[in-house]
Amino acid sequence: MYEKHLAWGVLFRIFHWAFALSIVFLVVTGLYIHSPWTNSVIEGSRSFPMAEMRHVHFIAAYCFMGAVFLRIYLWFFGNRQEKFWDSAPVTGRNIRNLFSTVTYYLYIKDEHEPRLGHNCLAGTVYIVTIVIAFFQILSGLYLLFPESTFWQGVGLSIFGTQQEARFYHFLTMWYFLIFVLVHLYILIWNDIRDPEGLISSIFCGKKFFEKGALDNK
Amino acid sequence: MSRNICEKELGPGLTRRGFLKGCALAAAALGLSDELIPRLVEAAASSKRPSVVWLHFQECTGCTEGLLRASHPDIGRLILDIISLDYHETVQAAAGNQAEEILKETITREKGKFICVVEGAIPTRDGGIYCKIGGRTALEIVKDVAPKAAAVVAIGTCASFGGVQAAHPNPTGAKGVGEILGKPVVNIPGCPPNPIAFLGTVLHLLTFKRLPELDRLGRPLFAYGRKNHDQCERRAHFDEGRFVEQFGDENHKKGYCLYKVGCKGPVTYANCPAVRFNDVGVWPVGAGHGCIGCTEPDFWDTCSPFYERLPGIRVPGGGGVITDADSVGKKILGITAVAAGIHAAAGIGKRLTKGSK
Repeated sequence: MYEKHLAWGVLFRIFHWAFALSIVFLVVTGLYIHSPWTNSVIEGSRSFPMAEMRHVHFIAAYCFMGAVFLRIYLWFFGNRQEKFWDSAPVTGRNIRNLFSTVTYYLYIKDEHEPRLGHNCLAGTVYIVTIVIAFFQILSGLYLLFPESTFWQGVGLSIFGTQQEARFYHFLTMWYFLIFVLVHLYILIWNDIRDPEGLISSIFCGKKFFEKGALDNK
Repeated sequence: MSRNICEKELGPGLTRRGFLKGCALAAAALGLSDELIPRLVEAAASSKRPSVVWLHFQECTGCTEGLLRASHPDIGRLILDIISLDYHETVQAAAGNQAEEILKETITREKGKFICVVEGAIPTRDGGIYCKIGGRTALEIVKDVAPKAAAVVAIGTCASFGGVQAAHPNPTGAKGVGEILGKPVVNIPGCPPNPIAFLGTVLHLLTFKRLPELDRLGRPLFAYGRKNHDQCERRAHFDEGRFVEQFGDENHKKGYCLYKVGCKGPVTYANCPAVRFNDVGVWPVGAGHGCIGCTEPDFWDTCSPFYERLPGIRVPGGGGVITDADSVGKKILGITAVAAGIHAAAGIGKRLTKGSK
């Protein structure tokens, strides 16, 4: 017998998809901006490939900013699973879960500890991701407003010159690309190894557990 | 490029350095490789100077002034040095019958060899009586002189396309030379045109014995092949959406794009941003004034009002990339804040109604 549990609220799911889709747009347009492959002959008064790419990049960047803002809000005001303390490696319960998850993922141990929220390994990576995203936003704003003395001050103190900031901004993009690959791999792996509706939970918010599995958790 | 030739052939007031500099400028404007500069110099220093007949009709002499009074005199002097200016009403010493005799004599002696330069439009209404020189109408003169020339060069927008006197309602029926002759001429439009465009055309003719490549409106492609907009130093501001909203505002002081205060750069073919004027690196946009499209046919009718925004020009991202992204971004962040607010309100409401956490 399986029973249905609400894991993720509406706002959390909106955050997830705004974050995910904006990353797709940011990476595609960002790679173009990094290395524009179109012939400059078509760059002109009727066609603006670089300008269009930057336009999409900036709008996607604002979506990304909004998403990160929502996630940080939910760390403190979300439901139990969405809160920072539920998946950060700061409590004994979470640290134990971190080790059990690592051993489970390494095929050392077969038992999978059922959790309604993130396992601690995922939760830790997500927190790191949000922190990295926050710095990506700072370097992005520094690049977007090069004439603003405020952003110049922020950028110079954290990243250095515009070129250094551009370089870190580009390197950080690869973190997100690698994150997406690993994230999708582990999701599918988990869904096959221990079906609990993990993938569909980010659409409908619900996960499925054997009756009583979550008791005492 | 013999030093002797240069020193022997140069006229008074033109230094060797100035001569070479002018030739190099023209070569750069023509887009020639520096290996061709010696050929240009040889041609320019040749003792066989082509005879030039310079006709003035409905005009303000601004084109001649622009040519002769460049702040750095070398270009004007160079032009006068490489051509034999046999007839030019503004600078010639002769007057009256004497001048007309010279014109007659030149076009007979140099028939098929001289270059006919026309400055000013030609009125056609009422038999062309609105512009007469020595008792003959401009129409009669140009039909007499131009067909005998090796090449016809229309200098300035008036001679090229009619200019200001051809503007609506065109009371004198003014027309450009090409239209009068019914055959292609070299048009060097501009109000005034850049002397480099004229110098380049003449040097091209002398060096390669043929005219430079022309566009569909008869303008040399080396000078009129691209739009001002696409070479403009303020182009980045256009793409990003940083515009002067009115003259003298903060954005104007910052040197932003003049498109919204009427710049016609997006529809004007010229090389002003690249070549600039008067040897001191200025051109209208560089000085904070929009382009008025003076190298385009009928620009007085089609590009005015000069201080109104051009319609139908696509700005990237609607209002410029950064401006538009910023306004969309503010809405996105606003929606985010509202979503968080609704979430918080729902949580508080739930707690109040249920009384539990």
